[in-house]
Amino acid sequence: MLTITRRPGEKIMIGDDVVVEIVDVTGTTVRVGITAPRERKIYREELWERVRRENEEAARADPERLGELKPPAG
Amino acid sequence: MPQTVNSTRFGELEVPDEALIEFPDGLIGVGGSRFALLSREGNGAFSWLQEVERGDLALPVTDPFAFFPDYEVRISDAEAERIGIADPAGADVLAIVRAAEALADFSLNLLAPILVSRRVGHQVLNEAPASVREPLLAGMATQGSA
Repeated sequence: MLTITRRPGEKIMIGDDVVVEIVDVTGTTVRVGITAPRERKIYREELWERVRRENEEAARADPERLGELKPPAG
Repeated sequence: MPQTVNSTRFGELEVPDEALIEFPDGLIGVGGSRFALLSREGNGAFSWLQEVERGDLALPVTDPFAFFPDYEVRISDAEAERIGIADPAGADVLAIVRAAEALADFSLNLLAPILVSRRVGHQVLNEAPASVREPLLAGMATQGSA
């Protein structure tokens, strides 16, 4: 992992189009500003992880628990 | 033109165009790009989103409003701009189902619903308070179903 030391107001470029700015540091809390193209999805990691795990668990479902299926009528 | 899908769970399926949904960004953490919405025999509550190219990737989904009539989906302006859906009320909403051994333990992911508009789908993070694992029966209880 790349580790970079920054001060409030300083920025990091990820590629040419994502800018991460350290907005403010108070005690143990860091406020980060992110500027990225609108198609980039930006999540808090713990939220993303919770949804990823839930999606994976849902994808393990056994059809027998949910009844018989048929493709929708054309 | 119907699409042939080789599903690990359901075998070979002929899926009409109307049942295909494009997911430009896939589902969070599991990907996929094009899913077929498969409905159940009869009028069951659950459907499946079956990835077209990845036969082993399928998730059960349902209409969350059928269980939680007061369910609300709010998305941030940035998310609305990203997915091109200004108002979730104008989109179809699907909730991913977590199936368990017993129906009593089924839950819906109300935190990360899927919005579908003009056969394009996006899984979004709900800005309204919602659980990633809302018990299905909690919704049925609040409806006071007979």
